[in-house]
Amino acid sequence: MAMLIETKTPPLKPLGKKETEVIPQATKRHYVWQVPIRLTHWVNALAIPVLFFTGLFIATPFFSPTPGEAFERFTMGHMREFHFIFGYVLLLSIAVRVYWFFVGNNYARSGFPFFWKPSWYKAVIHQMIEYMHLERGYVNIGHNSLAGCSYAGFFALCGFEGVTGLALLGEGNPGGFWDRVLGWTTPLLGGSFRVHMWHHLAAWFIILIAMFHIYIVLYDSHLYKDGLVDSIISGEKHSIEGDKDANTWIS
Amino acid sequence: MEVLERKPSTYDILRAHGVDRRTFLKFCTQSAAAIGLTSAMVPQLVAAMEKKPRIPVIWLHGLECTCCSESFIRSSHPIAQDIVLNLISLDYDDTLQAAAGFQVEEIRKKVMKDYKGEYILAVEGNAATNDNGVYCTIGGESFTNILLETAKDAKAIVAWGSCASNGCVQAAKPNPTGAKPVYKLITDKPVINVPGCPPIAEVMTGVLTYLLTFGELPELDRQGRPKMFYAQRIHDKCYRRAFFDAGMFVEAWDDEGAKKGWCLYKMGCRGPSTFNSCSTTKWNCGVSFPIQSGHGCIGCSEENFWDNGPFYQRLSNIPVPGIESTPDSIGKTLTVLSAAGIGAHLVSVVARKGVRNLTSNPEPEKSEPAENQNPENRGN
Repeated sequence: MAMLIETKTPPLKPLGKKETEVIPQATKRHYVWQVPIRLTHWVNALAIPVLFFTGLFIATPFFSPTPGEAFERFTMGHMREFHFIFGYVLLLSIAVRVYWFFVGNNYARSGFPFFWKPSWYKAVIHQMIEYMHLERGYVNIGHNSLAGCSYAGFFALCGFEGVTGLALLGEGNPGGFWDRVLGWTTPLLGGSFRVHMWHHLAAWFIILIAMFHIYIVLYDSHLYKDGLVDSIISGEKHSIEGDKDANTWIS
Repeated sequence: MEVLERKPSTYDILRAHGVDRRTFLKFCTQSAAAIGLTSAMVPQLVAAMEKKPRIPVIWLHGLECTCCSESFIRSSHPIAQDIVLNLISLDYDDTLQAAAGFQVEEIRKKVMKDYKGEYILAVEGNAATNDNGVYCTIGGESFTNILLETAKDAKAIVAWGSCASNGCVQAAKPNPTGAKPVYKLITDKPVINVPGCPPIAEVMTGVLTYLLTFGELPELDRQGRPKMFYAQRIHDKCYRRAFFDAGMFVEAWDDEGAKKGWCLYKMGCRGPSTFNSCSTTKWNCGVSFPIQSGHGCIGCSEENFWDNGPFYQRLSNIPVPGIESTPDSIGKTLTVLSAAGIGAHLVSVVARKGVRNLTSNPEPEKSEPAENQNPENRGN
């Protein structure tokens, strides 16, 4: 499935090496991230900051419009409007990504959290140590187990935000679609007020994951010179002999 | 009074009390409006009142403050005295009735026997379950036992107020008496939850009127509350909603916004998460309701409202062991900690690189690349 292209790009340098050294690296180019993966990534990257900002405003309106009459302005109304629109955008983006999990290439399923397998925990811990050691071990051409773990957390959080968000949205229209579909979740979380609280708290965890994501991607890309940052635009990653490819349907 | 072959209906009782047909019809129309029925339903209500026998009601008081009773007797339409004296046959209410002591308990037993499976049990307050319910005893018997015993042969149970519907202050953390709302103790009977601390008088009489005229439960939502009164949030019918949408908020109790009646959201108003009809029905014959009088809603008809404090904060405190914090302060703390962790990692990378560059001399580097070039050494 993976497109392998032999390239003649000059070898790249690993971290901590002098410029004079020539190490054969990144000899292979792999087409890793297909268009839907890259597209949903950037849709998420757009939607999350908008949702977080408008969400913070909705919880604590931190600025007020200029003085005037209520009919002249719609500040909170617009904030809520944007929040709901981008909420739907994020959910649809995630729905596309989940669909692509099943129909995409092997990389779309790489890093799957096999939380019932002890070997998966070993792999996660190994990857952590890997980053702590600040040295290169093997590189996964797809997601490594730690990345897969955090993305699973991300999707779980987004799912939670989606369910609680839509249940709260449904409160404004009792007997409406979302109220009938998801309204039953509100009593499970201890009432509408608690749902607001959990929705708000979970948003912070998404931001935490985004922070770690950005840092680790930059760090990983810098350390291994595997073109990780570029790959989410071009879709291509570089590898050298010994890097771990996603050879199985799910890995 | 003429001898009736059937049990007396509401109309029979009213006639016996000297109420004429015209007044009776006016009362029916008023009641229909109160419970949200269209005028086309009035004949149905009239027929029900004429034919259906009055249903006896046993009104129990458990762990409570009697605010529900206080609210109930201040009902304006249908007039509470009509409800109490005419519409329902309030056979047992230890707070309102004249009898006392053993007599009272005998009446309860008698109603339970004579109207087995027919009477309505109205419960005000909830039951303590810790230590065999000793925290609330009536006539030497624990309220928990009285409740279970009386509920056994009831047709339906009306849980008055937040105590009976969702626990209220008694069940707030740490709930020393093990107070439990009615629906958690009685699972085999229909329970109508009428939350609020207290519920609005018109809501209480409206629920009873519906129950007694139609002999069936009103449509309930997921939490067992009558939809006709608890379907919508206070927020969605609030007359200050325009200020919310505009983003105009009261920031302090004495600021310009407070004087102009702006939205109380930032002062902790629970209107957006409270399902009740305060903003439409209002209180004390439609005079006012908390938000109208300048104070935010405290969400008294919502589950756990005592544990969702402080009331004057929109985002409540989350009990993290050792500290009390809001979602925002938790989020900010974690963000700062994460940024610190990332920073530490970055510093260690740079420092390590610096150390490596400092310690390495030009010559020994030959051995290092060999190590790195070999894929076998890369840890797979």
